[in-house]
Amino acid sequence: MNFAFDEEQKGLGDTVGRLLADHAALTGPDLSPEHNVAAWAALAELGLFAMMVPEDHGGAGLGAVDLALAVEAMGANLAPLAAVEALIVTDLLVRHGTRAQQHEFLPRLAAGDLRVAVALTEEGGDDAPESVTASVAGGVLHGRKLLVAEAARADLFAVVAQSGAGPAVFLVPAGAAGVSIRAHEDIDPTCALGEVRFEGVVLGEGAQVGAGAPLRAVARLHDAGAALYACLLTGIAARMLATAVDYARTREQFGQAIGSFQAIKHRCADMAVAIDAAQSATYYGVWALSEDAADRARAVSMAKAYAGEVARHVCNEAIQVHGGMGFTWELGLHRYLRRAKLIEHSFGGALWHNERVVSETLRMLEEDEAAQLAAA
Amino acid sequence: MDFTYSPAENEFRLELRAWLADALPKGWGETVFEPEDERERAMFRLDWERKLHAGGWSGINWAREYGGRGASLIERGIFAEEMARARAPEGINIIGHNLAGTTILAHGTEAQKKRFLPEIISSREVWCQGFSEPNAGSDLASVRTRAELKGDRFIVNGQKIWTSYAQYAQWCFALVRTDPDVAKHKGLSFLLIDMRSPGITIRPLRQISGECEFNETFFDNVEVPAENIVGDLNGGWKIAMTTLTYERGPEDALGRQVRFKQELDKLMLTLARTMQGRRAAIDNPAIRQRLARAITELEIVRLNALRSFSRILEGGDRGSDASMTKLYWSHAAQNMYEVAMDALGPLAPLSGQDPAAAALGRFQLSWLQSKAFTIYSGSSEIQRNIIGERVLGLPR
Repeated sequence: MNFAFDEEQKGLGDTVGRLLADHAALTGPDLSPEHNVAAWAALAELGLFAMMVPEDHGGAGLGAVDLALAVEAMGANLAPLAAVEALIVTDLLVRHGTRAQQHEFLPRLAAGDLRVAVALTEEGGDDAPESVTASVAGGVLHGRKLLVAEAARADLFAVVAQSGAGPAVFLVPAGAAGVSIRAHEDIDPTCALGEVRFEGVVLGEGAQVGAGAPLRAVARLHDAGAALYACLLTGIAARMLATAVDYARTREQFGQAIGSFQAIKHRCADMAVAIDAAQSATYYGVWALSEDAADRARAVSMAKAYAGEVARHVCNEAIQVHGGMGFTWELGLHRYLRRAKLIEHSFGGALWHNERVVSETLRMLEEDEAAQLAAA
Repeated sequence: MDFTYSPAENEFRLELRAWLADALPKGWGETVFEPEDERERAMFRLDWERKLHAGGWSGINWAREYGGRGASLIERGIFAEEMARARAPEGINIIGHNLAGTTILAHGTEAQKKRFLPEIISSREVWCQGFSEPNAGSDLASVRTRAELKGDRFIVNGQKIWTSYAQYAQWCFALVRTDPDVAKHKGLSFLLIDMRSPGITIRPLRQISGECEFNETFFDNVEVPAENIVGDLNGGWKIAMTTLTYERGPEDALGRQVRFKQELDKLMLTLARTMQGRRAAIDNPAIRQRLARAITELEIVRLNALRSFSRILEGGDRGSDASMTKLYWSHAAQNMYEVAMDALGPLAPLSGQDPAAAALGRFQLSWLQSKAFTIYSGSSEIQRNIIGERVLGLPR
């Protein structure tokens, strides 16, 4: 039992944080996605995309826990979302990919040469990955996906769609006939979100990930997405608190630093406690994901719902602490507000994850009751 | 990061689980419950603490030489989980174990350790805490209870308030003024006072829950042997801060989490059986959203404690996150009881004796009790000041 990151994990988080800090344009006020290209290249050069790839495919063979602090730093520095999605799909392929898929994609993912985006969300969807309406019949995919990160730059889509045996994940090359992309108009244009249409896309042999257990592959993709996105959220929240505290220490009104007033000090204290709590939930969720623990679903849902609510709260509060400055375009706090809002609604919003927390808790309670009865 | 347990830790868990199954009354938590009467309940809990001691399960993290089993913080975490799982009763000598004991361990003389620790761990002596006074609440350093050193004894005069369990306690640790002529933090001492001494009067205070757990305690020329001081004369503030760090620390939070988790589990099962219109209360989507938040926050109380343990094991200091720990659990628990009352709907106002009350009215009683959480052991406002200034570095 140990609830601490080791020196290597902390070191990786620091390294990624420092590297991204050199790409200051990522956190600038303007909503251009153009800075993502250089940041992606720098992360690839650092070897980030190889971290979760097994050693026999040219990677470092690390798990999600090893990367948690690095992903948190990616949140704090508004790194390209596509970079996190690459990690999420890597995790999926390592766990559920066929030998052929691993052989084909993992080395290219490791090198940062393959850009892959998760195509999950649908209009009319309810956040449950199993209720998608995109479908594959006779090896042909039909469907329309929304909010796909950097869709126009993707080489490959990981598409959640119904198969004959229920929901499943399919890998679809962006260049396949029948794939078309429309850029969204949305809250965070730096993520270059797009709508992707799959209209009669003929899938190759072996396009499905985890054919032996399709629903498990879908759940894995969704849980990995939710857990790593929770890390992004705690990173955003921690950065916003640090910014608010710096401001409160130096900004003077009534002849003293505003941080000396309890109205400000207590807000900051509450933020600090909330972030610490969100980190406890998130780190545990990432561990449960990494270990495929018995309470993985519940732990991940707790993390995503809670970190989302905390990040939202802290972004709002940070703007309030900054007063009029907080509302300016130029200061750029809106970048975090926008990114947090987008992430909050990706891989399941708080409503869906909260419902899952309750149903999983009831299931675990009933199992425990039954076990105790059996023991008696 | 690793949440799996070693074979030795698993063995520890199974040994405890087996002991608990044997030690608790048959039907415990199902058909057999704690006594209704407050005093009987206190005695029941004291008996349970003595039973734990007899079985070797009291003060487990204390060193063997003081009667403990030198358990690691991890084993302490397992202990809390198993107590929750077995719905074990709580104790009334919490102040003795968690505050008096830990403070004496940290700052007491060898003679004090030998005299007091075995009596605490066995719960042969119950303790209460003499910190707050009518005019020293959040501003604790302004206590006025006076202790004058005359020869080989202190003469104590004054009044303490909110002294929980004073009616059951044989001993009290108190923060008293030994020098009225210096800055307020610098004239305080930490005394161990025998509650059986002549000159002590206890008057019970009725709480909003209707219970009389806490009291006013009056000291009228009470004689305390000079050797019952912990730390230096006028050095009591530092000692009291140690006590508060433990009072707000992760061990305390984990112990409480056990109780709250039991109540939350009970709530979920109660709501599954409680019909509201055409559906069970547990199936109300609005309530489920709030239950999820309560479940998550309570799990975070546990995770926060485990994270603190890991920080302490890595050599981190205790002080910095104690206020964060306390602020979080107190509000999480209050929120959980608010959800409980809302979820019970029209039955929420019914209390224990009413035949239509849900789960013997326990959620209502706990809801009332929970109002104290954000006040005692430092109000939330004080915790926020500490976090703002000492953790975040905001100016005073």
